[in-house]
Amino acid sequence: MSEILGCEKVTKRFGGLTALNEVSLSVVKGEIFGIIGPNGSGKTTLLNVITGLIRLDEGRILLDGRDITKLKPHERVKLGIARMFQGMRVFPYLPVYLNVELVARSIYGDVRLARARTSWALTMSGLLPEAGELPIRLTPYKLRMLEFARILVSNPKIALLDEPFAGLTPDEAEAMIGLIRKFNSLGVTFVIVEHKLRYLMRIANRVAVLNQGVKIAEGRPEDVVRNPQVIEVYLGVS
Amino acid sequence: MYVDIYKYILLFSIFHSSTYLTFSLGFSMLFGVAKIPNLAYGSLYILSAYVMYALTTYIGLEPLVAALVAILVAGLASLLIGEVVVKPGLKMPVSVFITTLSVAYIFEEFFRIEMGLRPITLPVYPGVTYVLGVPVSNHWFLILSASLLMFLSLTAFLKYAVLGRSIRAVAESWDESRRLGIDPLKVLRVAFFVAGVYAGATGVLLTPLKALTPTAGWGPLFTAFAIVALGGVGSVTGTLIASFIYGFFEQSMTYVLGSGVASISPLILIVLVLVFRPQGLMGRVE
Amino acid sequence: MVFAKRSAKDLIVGKIPFLIALAVLTLLPLLNVGGFWLDVLTKVNLFLLVTLAIDLYSGTTYYLNLGVSFTFGFAGYSLALLNVYYGIPTEYSMLLAIPISIFFSLAILLPSLKIRGVYFAILSLLVPIIFIGIVTAQPFSLYLGGEGGLRFKQLFLDFARSLPPGIRLTFLQYSYYYISLAAAVVGYVIAYKIGFSDFGFMLRAVGQDEELAEGTGINTLKVKVIGFLISSAYASVAGALYASMRPPVTVDLVVPANTLIPPLTSVIVGGLGTLIGPAIANYLLLLTYELLWGLIGRWRVIAYMLLLIIIITIKPQGIVFKAYVEARKFLRGVFSE
Ligand SMILES: Nc1ncnc2c1ncn2[C@@H]1O[C@H](COP(=O)(O)OP(=O)(O)OP(=O)(O)O)[C@@H](O)[C@H]1O
Ligand SMILES: [Mg+2]
Repeated sequence: MSEILGCEKVTKRFGGLTALNEVSLSVVKGEIFGIIGPNGSGKTTLLNVITGLIRLDEGRILLDGRDITKLKPHERVKLGIARMFQGMRVFPYLPVYLNVELVARSIYGDVRLARARTSWALTMSGLLPEAGELPIRLTPYKLRMLEFARILVSNPKIALLDEPFAGLTPDEAEAMIGLIRKFNSLGVTFVIVEHKLRYLMRIANRVAVLNQGVKIAEGRPEDVVRNPQVIEVYLGVS
Repeated sequence: MYVDIYKYILLFSIFHSSTYLTFSLGFSMLFGVAKIPNLAYGSLYILSAYVMYALTTYIGLEPLVAALVAILVAGLASLLIGEVVVKPGLKMPVSVFITTLSVAYIFEEFFRIEMGLRPITLPVYPGVTYVLGVPVSNHWFLILSASLLMFLSLTAFLKYAVLGRSIRAVAESWDESRRLGIDPLKVLRVAFFVAGVYAGATGVLLTPLKALTPTAGWGPLFTAFAIVALGGVGSVTGTLIASFIYGFFEQSMTYVLGSGVASISPLILIVLVLVFRPQGLMGRVE
Repeated sequence: MVFAKRSAKDLIVGKIPFLIALAVLTLLPLLNVGGFWLDVLTKVNLFLLVTLAIDLYSGTTYYLNLGVSFTFGFAGYSLALLNVYYGIPTEYSMLLAIPISIFFSLAILLPSLKIRGVYFAILSLLVPIIFIGIVTAQPFSLYLGGEGGLRFKQLFLDFARSLPPGIRLTFLQYSYYYISLAAAVVGYVIAYKIGFSDFGFMLRAVGQDEELAEGTGINTLKVKVIGFLISSAYASVAGALYASMRPPVTVDLVVPANTLIPPLTSVIVGGLGTLIGPAIANYLLLLTYELLWGLIGRWRVIAYMLLLIIIITIKPQGIVFKAYVEARKFLRGVFSE
């Protein structure tokens, strides 16, 4: 069991608000790690800190044992951290294939390699027919697939997904689960932030629970949902 | 007669700052509501001054009456600019940059054709008073009291009047204020009118002490820009503090460096401030 | 990739307007258009470079850099200073003045790159204003020529002096015109290559969602700096050529009304980031402006500005590019008949 991603006592404050309070995590190579928590508990902020889009106030981030706390976001992507943003985030006025190809171009120096990876990623996510379209023409599911293609193209060690099932029909969510499982079996580690426990419980090996910036529980999904503190947080919210 | 230079700097930085304050207040409030700077703002300054000039010289109106009419004209012109030019472009800030700039050139060119480049001036409030041994034109006191009055009334308006509070709500967030049942476009109209009045008032107050030419609107515009950048968009207190920092810095520099370079020295200060604190001195992080 | 390929016919139809424009601009002077129009066209050719400078950077990233007129004028001033104080001939001064001006633009405007939106625009607009203040104020005005400007010691293409007076002026006018045309054509072709390369699309990605760009692996700072560098290079080349062809060098080169507003307008009316739209608008608008002089004289500024306001208010996304696309569709229809 070797650690691929580690967060050590990560603290982030926005003015007076402590969005993350000494959060520590250890994600193991090859697993699917879930993060749950009510609205505003700091899940997205944690992903932002891991990808480097937000500078943390205290603590360290480790990738494969290497301290990456000071690296810029694009440098972390090159090291193998890919990210799917909350909500559908794409470049709205660039055609689908460019949305993917630009990521590839900034990771691989070689143009032909970048093009080849792009074709492959688009094929894997079933977007080849829409490659020349603008993203506005895509359905929510296809948009998610576009975001998935963007992750695949960077050939990541670890993929961070922020609410990947939001806005999908049950069938589409199943397809997404299939894709995640498939690439997990091919060696990609996943960290998945999700509200819908239903899906997460089925695929996650381990789950951490955040509440108001504090990690209140961690463990196997079936144990976590029985944790009285977690139940209180979730019932207290809903 | 020997006059202490520090007294001079202190006194005149207060006088100048008060004019910057009145002019910038309208600009800042408008900027806060519309989220876009109105580059035609300086035109309202020359417009009201020219209108007052025309009313007093050609029609022979009393200066006070003429001034009030001129200020009203500036307010209405501002309203018109807002309706016709700014509103349609709210979604494309770049295009408002261009269109309001075009309006400014239209005014400049119009007065260049009609009035020529010869500087004109308006009647000064007569008399001189000695303050700390420094002779000061009574007109400065007129300006100072008018500025103070305008500052206080705007502060009170924004704080206590329903309309004023709507202005602040819209400046905070368009979406949020819509949810509260405020019509941002209506508020924008009010903001344009008030801003026009403030710019116009500065024009008729300041022109007697300065020469008026068709290009006289640019200086105040850039000053307002700088002050808003320094004080933060839409912040009344910020504008107050920034105006005085600006005025004091400029007046001190005038005595140190001479008037040429001094007029741009505050701009350099502001560039430095912006680079290190992009949200301005008083502004909040978005 | 299949989807990235454009059909050969597309390319032909795309190039035809360009070739026609090139042919017209090349042959026009031979029709004896007169010195006035030759000067105007020279100016418009050089302004194309400024238009492209703005469109390549601001049109793609939406960082509105209003400091372009500073870069333009700074190149002119560097050129004049090198010539006046060091006696370097204009042609060689240009080779130095362009890098100097690019360097200064970067040094001065680069710190502001982290600022987004309106503040960046304000800041970049203050730079030319400050420069004008410095040039016209004592003691700098003594060295920089003040209001009267700096006069070159030699002409650009100074050997023309040895020509008989009768043809000297004509020779210079034609030479300047063709040099400006060559700069415009080369500038346009390169801009098109850059603007629609992967790098150009990265600039657009930064404009559309900077956080997403950075978060998906694009080095946004590097992209912005390089984009800014290219844009400054365009403005510097334009400024140096313009200054050398129209002495003396005065603050008119830096005044935003002269050297920023017309190209910026072309970019907006032409359609942000489309390059071809702004390029066409550059010629249409600037030539219209000159034509208005003959029609209504001094009222032309007002008429022109009104026209602009109307166009921009009705179609804020620009009209020229859309019109161009429609025209191409029509042409393609004709071709497939
Ligand atoms: N850039 C920011 N500036 C200030 N506060 C922020 C910022 N980003 C997040 N916050 C605050 O930090 C807290 C945590 O936000 P975060 O987006 O991480 O929550 P979340 O768990 O992802 O919620 P959700 O389930 O709604 O996505 C919230 O109170 C939020 O308002
Ligand atoms: Mg979130």
